[in-house]
Amino acid sequence: MAPKKDVLLQVRDLRIEGYSDEQWIEIVHGVDLTLHRGEVLGLIGESGAGKSTIGLAAMGFARDGCRISGGSIEFDGLELTTTSESDLRALRGSRIAYVAQSAAASFNPAHRIIDQHTEAPIQYRIQKRVEAQEDAMQLYERLRLPNPGEIGFRYPHQVSGGQLQRAMTAMAMACRPDLIIFDEPTTALDVTTQIEVLAAIRDIVDQFNTAAIYITHDLAVVAQMADTIKVLLKGEEIEEAPTEQMLDEPKEDYTKSLWAVRSFKRPQKARPAGPDAQPIVSVKGIEASYGKTKVLDDVSFDVYPGMTVAVVGESGSGKSTTARCITGLLPPTSGEILFKGEPLPPRYQDRSKDQLRQVQMIYQMADTALNPKIRICDIIGRPAQFYSGLRGTALKSRVDELLDLIELEPSKYYSRYPTELSGGQKQRIGIARALAADPSFIICDEVTSALDQLVAEGILKLLDRLQKEFNLAYMFITHDLATVRSIADEVVVMQKGKVVEQGPKDEMFTPPHHPYTDLLLSSVPEMDPNWLTSLLEERGTDQIGEAADV
Amino acid sequence: MSNFVIVYYALLIAASCLAAYFKKREIFILVFTLTLVSFFMGIIGGQSALRFITTAAGLLAVAAGMSYAFREFLILITPEGVAKELRTAPLTAAFGMFVICTYAIAGIFAPIIAPFGEAQVISSAFAPADETMLLGADQLGRDMFSRIIYGARNTVGLALLATMLAFIMGALAGLLAATKGGWFDQFLGRFADVIMSIPSLIFALLMLSIFGTNLIVIVIVIAVIYSPRVFRLTRAVAGNVVVMDYIEAAKLRGEGTWYLIRKEILPNSTAPLIAEFGLEFCFVFLLIAGLSFLGLGVQPPTADWGSMVRENATLISFGELTPLIPAAAIALLTVAVNFVVDWMLFRSSGLKEM
Repeated sequence: MAPKKDVLLQVRDLRIEGYSDEQWIEIVHGVDLTLHRGEVLGLIGESGAGKSTIGLAAMGFARDGCRISGGSIEFDGLELTTTSESDLRALRGSRIAYVAQSAAASFNPAHRIIDQHTEAPIQYRIQKRVEAQEDAMQLYERLRLPNPGEIGFRYPHQVSGGQLQRAMTAMAMACRPDLIIFDEPTTALDVTTQIEVLAAIRDIVDQFNTAAIYITHDLAVVAQMADTIKVLLKGEEIEEAPTEQMLDEPKEDYTKSLWAVRSFKRPQKARPAGPDAQPIVSVKGIEASYGKTKVLDDVSFDVYPGMTVAVVGESGSGKSTTARCITGLLPPTSGEILFKGEPLPPRYQDRSKDQLRQVQMIYQMADTALNPKIRICDIIGRPAQFYSGLRGTALKSRVDELLDLIELEPSKYYSRYPTELSGGQKQRIGIARALAADPSFIICDEVTSALDQLVAEGILKLLDRLQKEFNLAYMFITHDLATVRSIADEVVVMQKGKVVEQGPKDEMFTPPHHPYTDLLLSSVPEMDPNWLTSLLEERGTDQIGEAADV
Repeated sequence: MSNFVIVYYALLIAASCLAAYFKKREIFILVFTLTLVSFFMGIIGGQSALRFITTAAGLLAVAAGMSYAFREFLILITPEGVAKELRTAPLTAAFGMFVICTYAIAGIFAPIIAPFGEAQVISSAFAPADETMLLGADQLGRDMFSRIIYGARNTVGLALLATMLAFIMGALAGLLAATKGGWFDQFLGRFADVIMSIPSLIFALLMLSIFGTNLIVIVIVIAVIYSPRVFRLTRAVAGNVVVMDYIEAAKLRGEGTWYLIRKEILPNSTAPLIAEFGLEFCFVFLLIAGLSFLGLGVQPPTADWGSMVRENATLISFGELTPLIPAAAIALLTVAVNFVVDWMLFRSSGLKEM
């Protein structure tokens, strides 16, 4: 790690207020922070902990509806809280840079990448256009982007997500800033892509001796990146310590609970044996395409009652498309889907009410999966009313029963709107809506990936309990192998629309693997701070580039 | 220096000093600006200018006070959910609601409020105002005030009917197009393009001269002219809602199109539609006034603000304000509706005011 030199950023007793319900409420309660040149500080915490707000405040910036109400932010001897807005603007971009979570949303789609890259250096008259472009290409090369001389002249939608995130990091380096703030730069990426972005970020921070604040909720990631880790909860600091010390002996209970979060694991169930045993859903050699692009190629697997089949793979591997074929949203071009031995009509419009009832779906984003203008009682009540014809008090008692099942108090939540719930509660409502139809097969599409780890674990436990209670079969779509490890009975690994390997979970997690499964498994960050370094040595840089560009 | 001037300045300066002393920044700036303006206007225009400023400031204050009281009144009489929304309404919106409310009452109770019938000739042409005729007489000797009151009923009622019809047609088509998609969407879209490509006034003139100028034809023609705009907006708004996961969930449940539109899509598109309703209402209102001015809208002797402006237009060359009164009625309603619409747009955009 870089040698510690003088203090670059000194934040004392930072207080930030947010405006809601017509009053100012303090959301960051006095946080201190010291960052030396060339040092990387990891900010970690659940959503709502104030990580991003503090990160932005380090640039002297507060989001709309927020204001810095107290404390001091001293950047290289300059007090940012009293600096004028125009001076701050000159500072941002040139001496402090910011890398946002979603590069795809942060790049302007109407301009070429290199034009956006060179905008700041030209604006601040650090470089001329030609120099800036040459410098950009050098940075692209350092970040191991393919075709560094050419890639900048593409538009943002023409490069992949991982490449875009690396281009964003290059852009942040354009003016050689003293401080970069990384706000969850890899959260939206696949594990295999995440590695090369992490490696690139670490390289460039080391090479230029840049200080960085790395914001994330993923401990294993922050362990690779940071020299020091600071744990935040609800706008307050829980503890701060050098990375190794923090990982080995966390002091506070909250930190320990974060560390222990992936402890939930249940034993693997075997397929029911005997002549009567028949899969509840059987996918037989389906192929599907969007327009002329073939997205599924000969996908087959079986799901038995009471069991969980996890479908894993990177984005674009056809996991969600398989789910769309099973639900009937995308009729397969060939092959068939059997439900309890009977073939299902390919289009959902042709299926009977009972067939529709049996297959339910839980979505990734609870925000878009629940209609914000409908009350909880109607969201859950509608399937019960629609399929079973329940009315009046019978319907109400059914909704109460369902709310009890998902561990939400009926009297409190019955007539609320979805916007009045937290992320985890919304996901529970999504589960209740699926249950209300009284199904035998539920497709869970990345149900925990948008949630904090503690909340996600609660959801997994709930799903597990419901499975035992109602003998449900789950198809669990995910790219998170930790989730697979905790809940799956069988695993299907998909790549580029094909099933590359499938079998019982314990078998899949013990070598030998299919090379692709191996790549996926080894790409999951571990809590060891030297994990990334040793993995990169093991693989060599070329292979990482390849894996990312598939 | 009359007593009026002395008392006027004394009051204003005392109020400014009090505001400054108690650190009420906004009140101080308001009052002191008024003091300064009065001071300079007083030097330039003398006592009459001063009286004019006093009247204008007084009217504004009365309007603001009325709006404030009206909003508090509405908050008290409405149920909890609506009252919560009303508390966020700015004074301009409250003023708009008050004006709309006044127009509605004038329209509904026109025969009771108006002292004379709308076609009743009671005086000589262009007779000046007296105690029986508050606003004087028009070009045939009919009472101007009574005709304004009846005009509220005819003009506003007609505009409301036409706008509602346009919305029912446009919104339904837009929702169907967004839900069904495919060739149905294409067909409706191109059909809307065809209607929009014809200049609206020429289209109205053509249709009215073919089918005659009765009220039903006017309403239908105007609804047809304005429905493509509503269609486009609804389709765009609903298009964003249709791609949501909850719509997919409802479709997979096996729900029909009508349920999807009514329960899932419409509640999520109402805010921009209501705002658009207010805007379209103003345009329809102006189109009807324009048509009446051209003699193709509401036919005499029915009172209508647009035709009243036209009929009394000659009087303006004699420096009389009479023809401007119906015009002012139109303007006031348009402004009032837009105040309310602005507030709704602001709410639906989800912006936070600092």
